[in-house]
Amino acid sequence: MVDKNMRILVIDDALTMRRIVINLLRQLGFTNMNEADDGTTGWEKLNSETFDLIISDWNMPKMTGIDLLRKVRADEKYARTPFIMVTAEGKRENVIAAVQAGVSNYIVKPFNAATLKEKLVKVVGDF
Amino acid sequence: MATTLSLMERIALLEQAQQGDSIPAAEVWKLLDAVKEMFGETPNGVHGHSSQLYQELGELAKFINGAKKELQEVKASNIADEHLPNATNHLDAIVQMTEQATGRIMDECDQITNFHNDAKERLLSADPAIDAEILMGVDDALNQAQTSVTHIYEACNFQDITVQRIQKVVKALQEIERQVLRMVVVFGLMENQGKLDAATTEELYADAALLQGPQLAGQGLEQDDIDAILAKLL
Repeated sequence: MVDKNMRILVIDDALTMRRIVINLLRQLGFTNMNEADDGTTGWEKLNSETFDLIISDWNMPKMTGIDLLRKVRADEKYARTPFIMVTAEGKRENVIAAVQAGVSNYIVKPFNAATLKEKLVKVVGDF
Repeated sequence: MATTLSLMERIALLEQAQQGDSIPAAEVWKLLDAVKEMFGETPNGVHGHSSQLYQELGELAKFINGAKKELQEVKASNIADEHLPNATNHLDAIVQMTEQATGRIMDECDQITNFHNDAKERLLSADPAIDAEILMGVDDALNQAQTSVTHIYEACNFQDITVQRIQKVVKALQEIERQVLRMVVVFGLMENQGKLDAATTEELYADAALLQGPQLAGQGLEQDDIDAILAKLL
């Protein structure tokens, strides 16, 4: 059974999207969410704290989600940590690039709570 | 023809002029004379292929002058200097307004959620205890209301998608602005030539080719399509 207190880092440069994702996670019963507004600040948080799940946007100004994903996968600490990409980039080549970089699952915006739950179940287990 | 500058030197001068100076008509005619000279003709003695070339270059000069007049009439410098930046500012304002409005909607949703939780606690801790059947009915109603709150949150996705679409339009406007400014400079219509230097557009296409979302309907994949790809790859 999934630990609803697992530490989740939500990374998106849009405040609105961070609030949506965090609120939907809260509705799904998760309680321990943190946030970052870019891949760079996200990477800093990942290094200063420990997280069990990463949910990141792709298109961000300083460090993109795909660059963050590559850094995460190259890092021993997070090499196997579930990483869900939530993005408006909805082309086949995006999905393939993300899979090649080691993404755990991929959600295209706009999305709903049911899609988020379905992907969470796939990457962290049923709840 | 008495000229001290070579053709290449004159072309170089004109190219240099594109950085901000206008191209005087006299300069164009001097260039034509230099071309004739290169073909071994004198200004008063052109014939054959050289004559045809001379005429075509003359037509080109007329076309350039005509284009310059048209650009003056449509006030291209105003388009680059005023209208396009204004349009960009309006779009920026739309982004800010939708962000503020969406934030407000979500604040209210948070409040509703707090009211629901508070109402549930009060009902459960009521003394004397409320009839279990009534309690379940109220709980169902509150849960349904909370589902609606979730749907409002989901609907707020629109703000992020809208912003990304507007950003694409802003980039397109900036590129148009840059091109119009170029024309203004090339045709000598620029009142303030410093503007071109101020136009910082070098990073317009700096993003990776993959960053093209959000796609229009029919151009991108649906979640089901993405899931099908993931099923094969993961």
